[in-house]
Amino acid sequence: MSWSRRLAALLPRTVAQDTGGTEPDPRFTFANERTFLAWSRTALALVVAGLGIVQLLPPFPGVPSGRHLIGLPLIALGAVLAVAAYAEWVHNQRALRRGEPLPRSVMPWILAATVTGIAVIAGVVLLISALK
Amino acid sequence: MTVPAGPGRPEPGDSPEERDPGLARERTSLSWTRTAISFAALGGVVLKDNVITGLIVLAVAPVIWQLGRVTRGRGPQADLPAVGATRLFIITVSIVAVSLLCLAIAIFGRAVPGALR
Repeated sequence: MSWSRRLAALLPRTVAQDTGGTEPDPRFTFANERTFLAWSRTALALVVAGLGIVQLLPPFPGVPSGRHLIGLPLIALGAVLAVAAYAEWVHNQRALRRGEPLPRSVMPWILAATVTGIAVIAGVVLLISALK
Repeated sequence: MTVPAGPGRPEPGDSPEERDPGLARERTSLSWTRTAISFAALGGVVLKDNVITGLIVLAVAPVIWQLGRVTRGRGPQADLPAVGATRLFIITVSIVAVSLLCLAIAIFGRAVPGALR
């Protein structure tokens, strides 16, 4: 499936037209929605953290762009997680309607990999500024 | 999933647990409130740096709270998912828009050196 068709399948109108399968137990629908909302809050928290690092921290001595190196990926991660959370909500709802097993989530992987990367960057920035 | 069916089963609406199995609706409503508060928190952080953008983000919070009102209703639950996609889509679009605004502030904005010192 091409990217444009994949994106079109995520639009609310397309999702609302999905009448395959049967309406799942409301509790499952609500649980899926809460999972999406929890990821949304995680995304917002990452944006807050990134903005706070760039705007509020004192600059690292010797590494003028150090704050941006740490903060900007956090903000970008927030945007990525928000989109991924919506896509997974759509796919989970689709699977729930059809009684299929839920698709495996890639979001923990995205979060863990990016946070690890940012931690490594932060460590390097701190080390450089400590040596100066 | 397994609601005991039998002659002694109370009619829906008799108890909170019957009206709302697992209190799923209640918990989802609270989750919407938390999400709205998260938007307000982000708005507060942005407000410190860029007043107009901060006010925009703060204005999103009551909108999100209003979106959650569907789960607070007492109507039949069957018609929820049709509107669900649009509501959640609005959240995603808001977060992406706010992230882009924050990226712009972070890159072009005037940093307050040592604000946390």
